[in-house]
Amino acid sequence: MNTIVGEAILAAPAQVEVIPRGTREFVFQRIFTVFLLLGTLVGVVVISYMLYNAYKYRDGADVDDGSIDRPRLGELPSGGGGGRKLFTSFILSTIIVISLITWTYGTLLFVESGPPQDDALAVEVTGFQFGWEFEYPNGYSEQGVMRVPVDRAVRLNLTSDDVFHNFGAPALKVKSDAIPGQTTETWFVANETGNYTAQCYELCGRGHSYMTATIVVMDPDEYEEWYAATNGSAS
Amino acid sequence: MTDSERPTETDGGEPDGGTVREELPVTGVDPDHGEHEHEFPSTGSIRRWFITTNHKDVGILYVVTSLFFLLLGGVLALLMRLQLWTPRAVGETLISAAAYNQAVSAHGLLMVFWFLSPFAFGFANYVVPLQIGAKDLAFPRLNALSYWLYLFSGILFGVSFFQGGTFSGGWTMYAPLNVPTFMPDVGATTAVLALILFVTSVTVSSVNFLTTMHRMRAEGLTLRRLPLFTWTILLTVWMMLFAFAALLAALMILASDRLLGTTYLALESPAGSLLWTHLFWFFGHPEVYIVFFPALGVMAETFQTFTGRRIVGRKWFIGAMVLVALQSFVVWMHHMFLTSINLQIKTLFMVTTIGISLPFDLMVFALIYTMLKGRIRFTTPFLFSFGALLLFIIGGITGVFLGAVVLDYEFRGTYWVVAHFHYVMVGGVTALVGGLYYWFPKMTGRMYDEFLGKLHFGIYFVGFNLLYFPMFVAWETPRRVFDYSAGLTVWHQIATVGGFVLAASFVVMFYNLTKSAFAGEPAPENPWEYSTTAEWAVPSPPPLENFPGVPTYRDGSLSFRRSGTETDGGVAVATGRDHGHEAGEHASHASIWPFVLGLGAFLTLLGLSGLKGGAFVEGAMGDVYLGTAALGGAVTLGSLVFMGLEPFYGPEVVEGEAWPFSGVENGKVGMWIFLASDVVLFGGFIGAYVFTRVAFGWTAWEPVPENPVPGLVNTYLLLTSSFTVALALVSAEKENKWGVVASLVTTFVLGVGFLANKAIEWEHLYHQGKWLSTNVETSTFFLTTGLHGAHVVAGLIVTLYLVARALRGKYLEDNRPLEQFGLYWHFVDIVWLFLFPLFYIL
Repeated sequence: MNTIVGEAILAAPAQVEVIPRGTREFVFQRIFTVFLLLGTLVGVVVISYMLYNAYKYRDGADVDDGSIDRPRLGELPSGGGGGRKLFTSFILSTIIVISLITWTYGTLLFVESGPPQDDALAVEVTGFQFGWEFEYPNGYSEQGVMRVPVDRAVRLNLTSDDVFHNFGAPALKVKSDAIPGQTTETWFVANETGNYTAQCYELCGRGHSYMTATIVVMDPDEYEEWYAATNGSAS
Repeated sequence: MTDSERPTETDGGEPDGGTVREELPVTGVDPDHGEHEHEFPSTGSIRRWFITTNHKDVGILYVVTSLFFLLLGGVLALLMRLQLWTPRAVGETLISAAAYNQAVSAHGLLMVFWFLSPFAFGFANYVVPLQIGAKDLAFPRLNALSYWLYLFSGILFGVSFFQGGTFSGGWTMYAPLNVPTFMPDVGATTAVLALILFVTSVTVSSVNFLTTMHRMRAEGLTLRRLPLFTWTILLTVWMMLFAFAALLAALMILASDRLLGTTYLALESPAGSLLWTHLFWFFGHPEVYIVFFPALGVMAETFQTFTGRRIVGRKWFIGAMVLVALQSFVVWMHHMFLTSINLQIKTLFMVTTIGISLPFDLMVFALIYTMLKGRIRFTTPFLFSFGALLLFIIGGITGVFLGAVVLDYEFRGTYWVVAHFHYVMVGGVTALVGGLYYWFPKMTGRMYDEFLGKLHFGIYFVGFNLLYFPMFVAWETPRRVFDYSAGLTVWHQIATVGGFVLAASFVVMFYNLTKSAFAGEPAPENPWEYSTTAEWAVPSPPPLENFPGVPTYRDGSLSFRRSGTETDGGVAVATGRDHGHEAGEHASHASIWPFVLGLGAFLTLLGLSGLKGGAFVEGAMGDVYLGTAALGGAVTLGSLVFMGLEPFYGPEVVEGEAWPFSGVENGKVGMWIFLASDVVLFGGFIGAYVFTRVAFGWTAWEPVPENPVPGLVNTYLLLTSSFTVALALVSAEKENKWGVVASLVTTFVLGVGFLANKAIEWEHLYHQGKWLSTNVETSTFFLTTGLHGAHVVAGLIVTLYLVARALRGKYLEDNRPLEQFGLYWHFVDIVWLFLFPLFYIL
């Protein structure tokens, strides 16, 4: 038991660093969970406070001792008191929001700086009505299926042949617009072999709902074997 | 604005509680008013609703019409929810893929444009003049015109379904899916034209509201003292003025690509897709606040009334809203985080986005703290407002997720976005529904059924959360897709059930309100204890001219000054070009021409929808379209002329608060405000040109006219014509009739010279093989200078009208129309001073 804890502590700097870094899936889950917990907490606190006061100060609850100056018809609008409380709450919420966003900014910089490995596989992705074409460094291209090796960073360069599309694979947490005449860039690392679905996330016409592709994450050796066999020829 | 005989006597008395009205005798009402109202048909007459220009009637028309569009958009939403009951594989769909895309797009467009804003503006129309102490809006006929343009734009959108299918590219209308190459249906063009007509209505309305709210406030009602609902409308309208002008530029470019064959957004354009996203979202983000602010205003009013507390931190609340209104124009690129924009820009827009979310925290806390020490009465309006605040808190928190760019990357295009903006926008609708119950007694003079109201709220709130909350859980579903992963089915089924529950709640509302409008308990002037604003100090419904006297806050609270017998106080301002009428005449309330003008615009655009690539469709259908357009053009021009000739008097402007436009008459203020929106329109066009040219390569781009001399000549012609317009005004001041006529005629001749010169230039270019659709360089050249040319043509038509009237000796006593026209003309000239170097020299 102790040794396991010890190992965990030794490994900690890599795993529990403040700014989440790692696969796209990992950073998303980490940040999303924190946001979800804090968001729920704040929501519950604020809404409970609101409901509590709505109940406490309901008409007929006898908390009104008659000393309060109520609004009158025809008066010039003016404000009630309570400015300090308002200001405190505002500052508090500002601190929460700004610190949260600042925290994620570190991860944004990490994601934006490109794939964490130098030997990233580069795939050119082209959207068209209604499908995806994937072109590999050797010039081989295939529609509907993208094959990548496991645990290796994949860099995608995306564009479109016709209208505005958006390429996204929810399980791998990778997404980017595919815009005609423009190139966008993104990357991902898949940690497990298997088939993943990629889909179009921008309404692009009649076939939008069925504009899918399969991402096949392969064992590196199998991948190399397959890649060598493509030989730069189109499918 | 002289008010030489200001009565010193007021009969305000000490207001206490809700009984202030009893002490405000309805005296001093001019006996003529009764007679005048005789000529105006009663609300029971159908004719009344076609000719009315009264702000209260127009408000009711807006509310009723917008609810109709709510039904239409709602039915489309239910269709979508049925399609989403299970994942639909090919061949298993309930409605076809094409129909689903149309339903998605039309639902968004109808709800955002034809329901939400007009619903809020129904209340704005009804309540704002009452709250600020005005008898009507500054330009009542223009107000009626706004309504008719709105209604006809909606009908036009409805027609688009029957022209081979309406627009099917989503409410964001991304390029190049929106051009005929990818969406050839005539109906798609009609939908775009319907939107243009809608934007026209909004622009007219914005000018009207801004002039009214800045110029016609009761004495003592400074901007700082405005009721909060009026404040939210004021800020909404300012945002609308600029945001919708940008949308107009985008839509005109899109319409031109569809009708005339220009290639701004085409696939081969260097950056057509991105150009559209920039133009659209520059409008689209302020639009979020445009639809939400009025709801915030309703919440602020109802919270104050039903808690019996004045709002906490009023100053900060207003300050926060002003900040949001300004900042709303610098956050648009957060809708584009996954496009090819760079990290620096992403960071900048991330910061502005967080910045704009914080003021809302303050507003939410202000509303919550307002409840403290209150006497909260859970009436239907309050329940809806309270519910709206709850929903908005959830919408706001889930919005912070989207502000974190790393999360936004994954949320893009998913149901997280759908759920979030429905919580915010339909949360806003919730407050507005509360507003409907709140002002229903004022508008109809009858009370609604409180039990049914509460029942409505109960079903509504349950249905709302059943519908939208599961969308957060099933957030990985892509938007606008009906074949989703099977594991999410249960959540979509809950949402579908929720959709029908929400719809059912509205059945309760329609039953309640329809029945109550005819058979409800008669409503007193002020059915709500602790309400403060002026609409509750007049009868329900208020009389045609609103107040029993001149409302004033001079003594710190509302009182009505006797209007005395015949004051000559206040200079009445007419909306027509002719202002010369005797002081003391009453405001008119009737004109049929706004309706006819709306009809004409409808026919014109319906006809134009048959255009594609600069030609009408082949065959008999083409002739029908051409004929409709021609008929529509004739009706439009005719009604404009009749409207100009019709004697019509707007409400008198009495001395009151008019910051920052005191001492400037309404017509001139209106013109300035209109020109401000026109600046943004041209800004959109010039921006589109610069953006496209940069993407193309600035230096590789050759100016379209090889010879700049015709353009240079035109510059001189226009500058000279500006000078002659100024001369016309000088002559009018010297009461020199022939001077006025000669100057105007010279202006006209110079303008015609400008157009003739341009025609020759364009003909040359045409023979060189350069035309609208040739390439993106020629597209920008012809469309931008063409838009300017259209401004010149409009100016010349007005010049002819002015000449005709000047010949009969008008303008010598009252030269304001000349001055207003002069402003417009100078503006058109200044625009040319920008266009000439941009398109001829650089």
